[in-house]
Amino acid sequence: MTAQPAAKSEFTVKDTYQYNYRTTSWWIISHIWRYKWLAISAILFSAIDFLMYSQGPVQVGRAADVIMNDPGSDKLLAITLTVMGVLTLSSIAFWSGGLLAETLAQHMEADARHELYASLLGKSQTFHNRQRVGDIMARATDDVRQLNAMLSPGLRFIYETVMGIVVPLLYIALVRVDLLLVPTVFVLVYIVVVRDYTRRLNPVTRRQREQYGVMNAGLEEVISGIEIVKASVQEPYERSRFHRNARLFRDHFVHQGRLEAMYLPLLLFAVTFGLTFLHCMILYDRGSVSIAEIIAVMGLMNVLRFPVFISIFSFSLVQLGIASADRLLNIIQAETDLDENAGGFSQSIEGNITFDNISFSYNKNGDAPVLSDISFHINAGQTVAIVGQTGSGKSTLTHLINRVYDATAGRILIDGVDVREWDLTQLRSQISTIEQDVFLFSRTVAENIAFGAPGTPQDQIEHAAREAQAHDFILTFEDGYDTKIGERGVTLSGGQRQRLALARAFLSNPCILILDDSTSAIDSATEDDIQKAIQRAQQGRTTLLITHRLSQIRWADVILVLDQGHLVAAGSHDDLLRTSPHYRRIFSRYDVDLPPLETEPPQANLQTA
Amino acid sequence: MGFIMDGLDAEDYDRQYSDRALVRRIAKYFRPQARNMIIVGVMILLNSLVNTGIPIFISRSLDRLQEKTSTSQLATITIVIITLGALAWVFNAVRRWLSSRAVGDMVLALREDAFDSVVRRDLSFYDSFPSGKIVSRVTSDTQAFSDVVNLTMNLISEVLLVVLLVGYLFSVSVRLTLITLTLAPFIVVVALGFRTVARKTVTQSRRILATVNTHIQESVSGISVAKTFRQEHAIYDEFLDVNRQSYRINLRTGYVFNSIFPLLNLIAGFGTAAIVYYGGDTVREGALSAGEWFLFIQGLQMFWFPLTSIASFWSQFQIGLAAGERIFALIDAESKVVQTGSDQLRLIMGDIVFDHVDFSYKEGESVLEDFSLSIPTGETLALVGHTGSGKSSIARLVARFYEFQGGQITIDGHDIRSLDLEHYRSHLGIVSQVPFLFDGTVMDNIRYGSPDATNDDIISVANQIGDGDWLYSLPDGLQTEVGERGGGLSMGQRQLVALARVMLQNPSIFILDEATANVDPLTETLIQEGLDVVMKRRTSIIIAHRLSTIKNADRIIVLREGTIIEEGSHDSLLAQGGHYADLYNTYFRHQSLEYIEEARRIATLA
Repeated sequence: MTAQPAAKSEFTVKDTYQYNYRTTSWWIISHIWRYKWLAISAILFSAIDFLMYSQGPVQVGRAADVIMNDPGSDKLLAITLTVMGVLTLSSIAFWSGGLLAETLAQHMEADARHELYASLLGKSQTFHNRQRVGDIMARATDDVRQLNAMLSPGLRFIYETVMGIVVPLLYIALVRVDLLLVPTVFVLVYIVVVRDYTRRLNPVTRRQREQYGVMNAGLEEVISGIEIVKASVQEPYERSRFHRNARLFRDHFVHQGRLEAMYLPLLLFAVTFGLTFLHCMILYDRGSVSIAEIIAVMGLMNVLRFPVFISIFSFSLVQLGIASADRLLNIIQAETDLDENAGGFSQSIEGNITFDNISFSYNKNGDAPVLSDISFHINAGQTVAIVGQTGSGKSTLTHLINRVYDATAGRILIDGVDVREWDLTQLRSQISTIEQDVFLFSRTVAENIAFGAPGTPQDQIEHAAREAQAHDFILTFEDGYDTKIGERGVTLSGGQRQRLALARAFLSNPCILILDDSTSAIDSATEDDIQKAIQRAQQGRTTLLITHRLSQIRWADVILVLDQGHLVAAGSHDDLLRTSPHYRRIFSRYDVDLPPLETEPPQANLQTA
Repeated sequence: MGFIMDGLDAEDYDRQYSDRALVRRIAKYFRPQARNMIIVGVMILLNSLVNTGIPIFISRSLDRLQEKTSTSQLATITIVIITLGALAWVFNAVRRWLSSRAVGDMVLALREDAFDSVVRRDLSFYDSFPSGKIVSRVTSDTQAFSDVVNLTMNLISEVLLVVLLVGYLFSVSVRLTLITLTLAPFIVVVALGFRTVARKTVTQSRRILATVNTHIQESVSGISVAKTFRQEHAIYDEFLDVNRQSYRINLRTGYVFNSIFPLLNLIAGFGTAAIVYYGGDTVREGALSAGEWFLFIQGLQMFWFPLTSIASFWSQFQIGLAAGERIFALIDAESKVVQTGSDQLRLIMGDIVFDHVDFSYKEGESVLEDFSLSIPTGETLALVGHTGSGKSSIARLVARFYEFQGGQITIDGHDIRSLDLEHYRSHLGIVSQVPFLFDGTVMDNIRYGSPDATNDDIISVANQIGDGDWLYSLPDGLQTEVGERGGGLSMGQRQLVALARVMLQNPSIFILDEATANVDPLTETLIQEGLDVVMKRRTSIIIAHRLSTIKNADRIIVLREGTIIEEGSHDSLLAQGGHYADLYNTYFRHQSLEYIEEARRIATLA
């Protein structure tokens, strides 16, 4: 069975290569298999490389034979040319194999990143809100590069190690089979010793790396918060904390140094080398091998040295690569809760919104509800302000309308139709959301405004900007509408970003506008502009405002007061001043004459509006 | 792998210390390690001797074999070879162990010194250095500097090996040694050429990596916008472009890296062939034994790899020294705030006087000139003015974060310079515009300035603000984790935590740089209620951005370009119709109830 990366997706690309998702290893293999000829020829070249390279010592042995036993022979020149030939061939094979393996590894990196990226685009907003941007970045850069390193040099070292051990041993066997005795024992002992070594070293390396992170993070925190550190006179405390962290790191560093210093395989090899030489001498003594053959064998032993020692990196590289692949697959295969629902209900929206006993929790099992049992109705064209402390569920409430999330219980109806029955594209394209942190792409101002409708003529873009009170400040930039956001010190205030987002919304002309407005105007003139822009945006559409602006709240048609996920009051400004203690508290700071508080029957009131 | 591959992506840095000064500074950190380093040096020497000895001994044994050998001789030869190998291992192990200790201790000392000097600096230092730079100097530059030590030791050991080997080879056969040595220039040129090319491609790879990262970061951060407008295909196409470009550039870098060793192997191959031939001739002439001939072939293998390291030493040595310099520059920077005494006042009342104070952040750009102001004990003083009028500078001077250049500031009649700084600051409570929280719980953060406070103290302080209503908005109350820099809390919640922190400190002087950020109206109400409690009965200096705070102040100081131009209460100043009235219309009018009531009419004006 070939599983799909994720069964539901909000975005799909045609003609993508199908990988195998059965297990992590299968997935890696299917990536390699996509370029099987690269992989096969890389291994082939590596075989040629070692076959030729090990011919070097063999030919040297032959040369020794000629020098010592065949004076005056002209074979020496031929052998010399052979040495030159095999070593040149070996270098070319080494080089070609390297380039092939490298190409494969770079393909793997690019393909895996591609696969991850496409899958990210297909995930629901729920998924993206759960993931931290930093985590995803780590996957897309570090983990993907780790896959690259797993192939080259990781896997490449492994097959080269195999070739580099098998081929010289083969040649030694050609001289005399029993000379294999010592090297074979060595290879076996070596495997055991290295496994033990990495088992002891890995945790120390990991602890050292983690401690480095801890030390760095602590330092960064102190530097960023230095004003508070100094104002609170906590320098001695912070100093001892840093010293402790730095000392711990030093201890791990020295521990690692000690383990690495005691790297036994080096000693093992020295012993093997001596014993092989002894074996050769004994055989020579018996007349079974010649000096020339000893020279060949000892030369081949030297060939053995390198492959044996690179294998130590390769195993951990492969381990790290598999762990990275696991993390990537976790994202690629993560199920997303929503899908496109293409072909669902589709019609132009009027803007009537009904919440019918809505509850919502970020946990699937409904624990720790963010919203509990919320019901209200908004008529098309009304402006609704949502008021509540941080964490009371204001943003979550609006996210349910365009299905960033689906409610855990209850129904949301738009023009009488459950949002889950709407075609997702139809639904979202008619609802505009302006988030608290307005996100602008690193493109020109004009392209940002026309983001939802590429190719909009300039005069329409400017018209939208004027409506959003953004035209004037855009013209203060040197390049006006062609100013690239985020370049050459062009920084926009929150209020300016918001007005660009409003211009964007004017162009797409949504039927429902959700505005999460946390901007603050530094001065009253800007405040006037923002007021005008928002007022303009409310006309002719249903508008939901999460705002800190008392002026907007005061004039909204309906005000919803949330407290810890419960709707505790709903009504107009004048209603709430009379009935809601929460709402009165806001205005009590102002020298306003509050009407007497009426003891209200709460539930009855919520059904108004 | 040797260090031909290392340090290729280091950034350029111009040296500023003279070589002598730098060496003197470095020596200071080496001195405590002198004994270890001497042992390490001896080990390096012994190791090189033994490593050269093994092939020499083998070549001699080969020659002796051809005569006649007894079993005991065979045993001796084997024992010698194994012993030499074992000794090489022991020397190497001792060297690595001791040098990792020496380097570890030295880096630790450097880091501690760097950190200590960083926290001693006044805030002008932090203005001129971005925090990322300071962090990298304390952690990664120290690490890079330690590489100099390893690098130098490796160099010594490799030079020794090459010198010993070549020296011995000369004594065996001058002709063959010269043939061997002709390889050296080729190897050095190839190694240096490789580094030049590799540096370029690595830089390109680093750039494309940054481009890829930026693209993905932007896509992921802006994904909700892309989804709302269904523009996934547009950004997907851009990604394909960037990803393809990254593939091409990385492939080129990979090819460069994969070419160096085959090339060096090829050169070594030609060398081997040359020795086989000419050496063979020499043996036939009788000037060389077969064993010695084999020694030359082995020697060649031992010779070229260290050579590549030696060739690439200098550029990496420079990188390490530059890192060292950056650390020393950090350690050597002077703090500008200097205390002349260390008086510990028994009780600080909070009577503050600025007496003809001159102050500038940068020479020639005066912020306060001949500035005088007296703040009596217990007063709530609001500072208003445009950006750059000197409001924040006054608060910073009271906190003694910066040094002033002329005049005098006194606290309860004592020169601020004569006070013990730590003791004085412990009587200050400061809330900055963007309150900084440390990773940990809300409770940890409230306790930060008063480590001895009990949990009950903290609970009672937290409940004094807005009757503790704000705690309900925190998922786990006081035990809520605030996240990195308080990122898990809203701006308003962070301000409430910072207020609670100050209240627990119970300071004599309270300094508030009011936030300009908007906070939801309910939290705003809680903050205002909290401020009422904090400002009661202590000297408070408020850099005001809130109309309600100004209205509650005992006195408003109106600043323009570092000078007090008006002072009084809100109503009287507004009535004057001067600069304050301008400021009110510019900054505060929209916070008034009248504005809120008028908003609908203002908004619909064309």
